[in-house]
Amino acid sequence: MSARNVEGGTPVRTAPRREITPGAALPLLGFLLLAALFPFLPLGSRAEFLLQIAFFTLVAGIMALSWDILARSGQVSLAHAAFYGLGAYGYALLLKAGLPWLLAMPVAALLAGGVSLILGAVTMRLSGMYFAIATLAFTEVVRTIIQNLPESVAGGATGLLVPALLGGNSRAQYFLAWGLLAFTVLVSLAVRLTRLHFAFAAIRQGEETARVLGVSIVRFKLLAFFISSSLAALAGVLYAGKTFFINPLETFSLANSIAPLTTSIFGGLYTTLGPVLGAGVLRVAEELLHNSVKNGYLVVYGLVLMLSILWLPRGLMGLRRGRKHGGDL
Amino acid sequence: MTATATKGALSPTPPGAEVLRAEGLSKRFGGLKAVQDVSFTHHQGEILAVIGPNGAGKTTLLNLLSGVYSPSAGRLHLMGRDVTDQPMEARCHAGLGRAFQIVRPFPEMTVHENVTVGALFGKPGQRLPEARERAWALLERTGLAAHADKAAHELTLLQDKRLEVARALATNPSVLLLDEVMAGLRPGEAQEAVALVRGVRESGVSVLFIEHIMPVVRDLADRVVVMDQGQVLAQGTYREVTADPRVVSAYLGTEEGLQA
Repeated sequence: MSARNVEGGTPVRTAPRREITPGAALPLLGFLLLAALFPFLPLGSRAEFLLQIAFFTLVAGIMALSWDILARSGQVSLAHAAFYGLGAYGYALLLKAGLPWLLAMPVAALLAGGVSLILGAVTMRLSGMYFAIATLAFTEVVRTIIQNLPESVAGGATGLLVPALLGGNSRAQYFLAWGLLAFTVLVSLAVRLTRLHFAFAAIRQGEETARVLGVSIVRFKLLAFFISSSLAALAGVLYAGKTFFINPLETFSLANSIAPLTTSIFGGLYTTLGPVLGAGVLRVAEELLHNSVKNGYLVVYGLVLMLSILWLPRGLMGLRRGRKHGGDL
Repeated sequence: MTATATKGALSPTPPGAEVLRAEGLSKRFGGLKAVQDVSFTHHQGEILAVIGPNGAGKTTLLNLLSGVYSPSAGRLHLMGRDVTDQPMEARCHAGLGRAFQIVRPFPEMTVHENVTVGALFGKPGQRLPEARERAWALLERTGLAAHADKAAHELTLLQDKRLEVARALATNPSVLLLDEVMAGLRPGEAQEAVALVRGVRESGVSVLFIEHIMPVVRDLADRVVVMDQGQVLAQGTYREVTADPRVVSAYLGTEEGLQA
């Protein structure tokens, strides 16, 4: 390194090597393009089944990426299942109330985002483990409330029937999911390329220092919660409309909070491509294992995940040579 | 003590407008009175030093000023506004900057990104492209431009301290609080740091600093607040306070203690 003493010399203004170039978006565009082409492949007799797997891969991508947006602000949440479930139930109940689906979807998302502000305000001063535990408890609270609403309202422990999305047309459903993932990607890029990125990263890397530098942590932490939870609720809407039957136990399952976390870590935290890529790789691996190892697939899946987290501390994004961090999308 | 060599001690700046005023600030931690009834006024363009033996309450006072702690009693006025009940970020917006004794860069950001955070959020309504530009200008001013793309851990301690100051200045403060910026620096580096602080004042920013090293206080400070056991023991120019017998006895009880 030729870092000679430059103090007092002519200031050299080098091109910032970690500035984001438009080229950084290429892998992301490529991935989305491939996903858009998937239904046009000759899928043969298993087309319906493969489209369903692909659909839930896109849903997993929305969940992981929206979780990552919240994590960028230093808030490692275990409440993602709550917002997924609020999206699913909100959508189902709004349909029951007579709203058209195209309106029920965004309204359910915004409602979930609104609820997330309550959680965000309560957990504002918590960090690390205490924050995670509070968000976990919140999920249980929401599940218990939904489960104990009058059965005529939310179906109780049995669950609710939800009209199939887009008349049950698998292809159309797939493209809707694709569109919502693309929207989530756009939101994530907007966060990455604007002042939000600096606010979130500063809060995550040193909350008190960020405050001393004027970062209004209340506003930005709540904004992160709102964006992240609304997007997770959209994933919940897709889930409800695809499975056309939802119940509290499965919808608010802890697995729905853990999966986005592991997917983001596996793919590469604090990036846009990482969580999306992670969802693609993990869901496909899960299905392959499910077919070949049968009952033991969860064990193998867990091992794969553990080993990759051990050996790839920066996730799949860390595989790219010569990149430490930053500059990635 | 050759006072003639020291600009600050001989020519007390005519008091400008008041930028910071503490009125009876106190902080108790349980039974411990860390800061008791501290009052002082800091004027525009002034370099004010806070000195005192270890445990005198200097850092607690700084934390009261920047809003890390809220006081048990007393008021704090910043640029004519009562900010006693304002959180840290609001005090920053009102014109208070702070550099930490133990440098605290954002570890996953470059030097330039670190400064950009200050430029972007130090005052409300800043836009990113302008903040980036101002960050560049500050890096050039503080001699860090060639290191803009490095991670903070790749810097030397002196460069890290420059980064602390650059980042605090990026918030466009009226008053800059410096917590022992000279700590851990070699004598040559300390001279550079002194020059840096002078440059800050010349740019119109009032400076309040905590310091242990007396020659640095003598060279820099227009006025000195001496603390002992949480209270203000004396205030005045460097010559005045070092001539005060109470100050002398607080420092080891001998005059040598002051010149160490």
